[in-house]
Amino acid sequence: MRLFWGSAPPRSWLRVLRRSVLTSLTVTGMVVAAACSSGQPSANSSQDPNSPITVWVDAVRLPVAEAYVKAHPNLKVNVVTYDGNGNGATGLQTKIQLWNRTGNGWPDVVFSQQVNDPVWMAQKPFEFAAKLKGLIPDDVLSQWPAPSTAQCTIDGEQYCVQDNLAQVVLWVNKKLMDQFGYTVPKTWQEWAALGQKAATEHPGYIVGNIGDSYGHWIYLWGNQCPLEQHRGSQLLINSTDSHCTRVATLVDPLIKNGSLPPLSVFTPDFARKYGGAKGKVLMMPGPAWYAQAVFDETLHIPAGEMTAANALQWESETPITTGQVGGGPWIISRHSKNLKGAADFVVWATTVFNPEGKDTRPGYPAYAPLADKWLAAQAKNPYFAADPTPALKAAASQVWSGWHLVTYPDQPVWSNTVVTQMVAGKSLSSLLQPLGDALAREAQAAGYEVVRQ
Amino acid sequence: MPYLPFLIVFGLLPMIYALYLAVTNDIGGWVGFDNFTRTVRDFRFLPALKNVLLYTSVWLVSLIVLVVALALLLHGRANRVSSTFRFLFYLPGALAGAASVLVWLFMLDPAVSPGSFFLRHLLGSDLFVESIAPGKLPYVFAVIAFWTGAGGWIVVMYGALNTIPHDLEEAARIDGAGPLTIALRVKLPLIRKWIAYMAILAFATGTQLFVEPQLVNQASLGMVPDTWSSNQLAYQLAFRYGDFNGAAAISLDLILIGLVAATIIIRRTGLFRTED
Amino acid sequence: MRFAARALRFAILAVFGLFFAVPIVWLVLAPTKSDETLVTVGPFGFGGLGQVAEAWQHLDAFSGQIYRAWIGNSLVYALGATAIVLVTAIPAGYGLALSRFPGRKLLLTLTLVVMIMPAAALVLPIFLELEALRLIGSPLSVILPFAFFPFGVYLAYIYYSTAIPADLLDAARIDGCGEWSTFWRVALPLAKPVVALVFFFSFVSDWNNFFLPYAVLADSSQYPIQVGLSTLLSSTPSFNPASGGGGQQVGIFRPELALATLLAVIPVAIVFLLSQRALVRGLVAGAVKS
Repeated sequence: MRLFWGSAPPRSWLRVLRRSVLTSLTVTGMVVAAACSSGQPSANSSQDPNSPITVWVDAVRLPVAEAYVKAHPNLKVNVVTYDGNGNGATGLQTKIQLWNRTGNGWPDVVFSQQVNDPVWMAQKPFEFAAKLKGLIPDDVLSQWPAPSTAQCTIDGEQYCVQDNLAQVVLWVNKKLMDQFGYTVPKTWQEWAALGQKAATEHPGYIVGNIGDSYGHWIYLWGNQCPLEQHRGSQLLINSTDSHCTRVATLVDPLIKNGSLPPLSVFTPDFARKYGGAKGKVLMMPGPAWYAQAVFDETLHIPAGEMTAANALQWESETPITTGQVGGGPWIISRHSKNLKGAADFVVWATTVFNPEGKDTRPGYPAYAPLADKWLAAQAKNPYFAADPTPALKAAASQVWSGWHLVTYPDQPVWSNTVVTQMVAGKSLSSLLQPLGDALAREAQAAGYEVVRQ
Repeated sequence: MPYLPFLIVFGLLPMIYALYLAVTNDIGGWVGFDNFTRTVRDFRFLPALKNVLLYTSVWLVSLIVLVVALALLLHGRANRVSSTFRFLFYLPGALAGAASVLVWLFMLDPAVSPGSFFLRHLLGSDLFVESIAPGKLPYVFAVIAFWTGAGGWIVVMYGALNTIPHDLEEAARIDGAGPLTIALRVKLPLIRKWIAYMAILAFATGTQLFVEPQLVNQASLGMVPDTWSSNQLAYQLAFRYGDFNGAAAISLDLILIGLVAATIIIRRTGLFRTED
Repeated sequence: MRFAARALRFAILAVFGLFFAVPIVWLVLAPTKSDETLVTVGPFGFGGLGQVAEAWQHLDAFSGQIYRAWIGNSLVYALGATAIVLVTAIPAGYGLALSRFPGRKLLLTLTLVVMIMPAAALVLPIFLELEALRLIGSPLSVILPFAFFPFGVYLAYIYYSTAIPADLLDAARIDGCGEWSTFWRVALPLAKPVVALVFFFSFVSDWNNFFLPYAVLADSSQYPIQVGLSTLLSSTPSFNPASGGGGQQVGIFRPELALATLLAVIPVAIVFLLSQRALVRGLVAGAVKS
């Protein structure tokens, strides 16, 4: 195919070309000039108590936000539902980075499912969270349990309040336990022995699961395994400490005989296998919010079967320590133009909102006076076979304080390093070293100085 | 040419800026190749690169071989039947991106998938979590990408085959060539440019894999890491750690690979030559 | 012998046909079942149309009918950007294929290089440019970057360089046409197939694009449907359990996800059906055959 222009390139094409290049360069020049002059976030010193506030909530907290809007018809509240940044997601980090670079767009209030989110939100380079001192009265703030406040305190300042406490207790199917003639275990050892018993006498029945992204918070945190412990300016990640290995030795036989499957409780497969009217969940160590959210709504276990028992003790060690799965921090943005309005929302959501019946709060409220009311209602909740509140209340103060919050999410490391391999048949004991190594790498990438002993 | 401002503003300028970011640090100071060496030493870099290269090669091979073969098969006997098949092949192309991943999340779950037989016996998985076990992922993603992308390319190849003058085919048939010979000796060489184009693009988009592992990361609750592919790692570096310089370095690594592949392909097939 | 060959050909095509079509069939049938019957009735079972209505109600109720907004956004972004692409890419491809001007090879190379540049590297600089032009938050922040579609330029380039014989152009030039009127009168009418092709690829690529809107849009009501689908995915309890509660009240389960996916596909399917003829007919329409 011959393609040519006869003689010289036609002048008209050259002219067109030249013109378009010139226009393009001018446009480009303008863009560059504009880019060089913008980009600095403006200092936020003007507060406007009538300014509308934007609130980011997850699906579970949406009723709270909607109730607030209903109760305050004169206020302008813009409610945005997002995924809650749970399970180790990093979406909020990316969004905040973008807002910081452009200098606007921050919501006024954010609810996060990751209890460690406030830690990085308070520090560079994000610098998103507002200090709560002065925004929320001290007498209100003091009604949160000390460990909860401690988790929201970074470098001596409080940056969040938690929506609920998520202490790990032992959920028990009283009906099945009575049916099989088992007694509720008080220690991890009794629990494991029951697991062995169930595997032989009633195969298919389980005493827990270890496949969730927070399995380590249930089994390792409560038993004092030092996977995230600040030592001055260093971070201790010792996954082969005796506290960790003893747990692995305890649970490995259970994983092997099928009474502690490495499956997530939220997958449809789990509900099919172990849930329903003929549910096979004998016991399950899990957080306070498992209550109806998991057993009723996810697993469809009928009413009159489940209740909560005290957190398990290791042999006869005291004090009893347990783990924590969640906490739901509420964070106020320091860039908010209506800090008072934002604070008002957060206070209302954590201290006032307490519907009855089937719309009840799914988690154990962190604000103590509200907790008392919530506990009273749960004690009369017909779903449970027996009053779960004594166990919930006792465990609330037993969360082990030797596990500290860090800026990086550890759930994906657990899922990726441990759960995938357990699904493939490996034992937890063999995975503790890789877990520690992976956590150490993650921590170093996040800027921590890691020690392994 | 109204195309030029777009090329410059959304093509050239960002590239130059990315180059600038790759050789400077976060306050604009020159650091040479420091960003490159630093990111290569990141513990997630090599696994991500391995994943992406394995995935890309599986996908590229399947794309070139199967797409060309299917297009030739369809073209060999153009009738109502073959146009129905073409439509069927193309159908999944409408689902590229998040939608196709969502469909495959269900396809990979032996409990609901119509292909549960294959999942259990070929992939050896009884549960969804086993379908996305680390070793299987590059192949799983290649299958998803093939399912979504092959149809479009088959249509393009078919169209390219249609530009071949009938006389050539006739002449070959008169000479006694069977359909297979015609396909391989006459048609195939004439669509060389299109195959080259497809290969270059497939290589580039393959190395840029992002959506599929990102969504599987979400759906698997973190079991598949959010830095499975190099592009994801670049995204995390940029938008989570604020390390735009490192992200730019990784992106340039990927471009380099793509450029090398593209150069090889262009040279071997003469894509830029307009005389034929 | 011929029959065996034909049967083999049909068998191969049929196997692949099943591979491509079966997941779609599943997708169409899935919203008719409830979350439990999805498993019990089997992949090809038909549930009931009532289930579809219920699934739609849940989907629509999600976050204040945001699903409708997402579809609307996708339409605006894709159609707006594709309109611009058609105006810019076709003449560009024509110029690159059929004219010789200094810098032609450079432009070609640049286009190709930009096409293979990873999105992650380009998104931040593009974002900064958009911010400088005060476009962040407006639909233009997505439409303008989408309007840059080098793949379309290449399609047009390859089309014009392989499908249009030089005789035609020579004939027009001998008749005294200048460059622009040559393009207008000769190349453009012959461009129908490539216009359809570029429209189709541009629309589909914009509709399916995930990364740019994901990075650039902060407000979820501005998301296109693809990013919206990922938000839906992360609101499905079985895929993203919310710690602190099950999130069951949101009512998004697997049938709703399937319905959302199905509905998200329909506009593209329509575009495909409309472009079918041009795509199928191939890339040459009535040109002079030497």
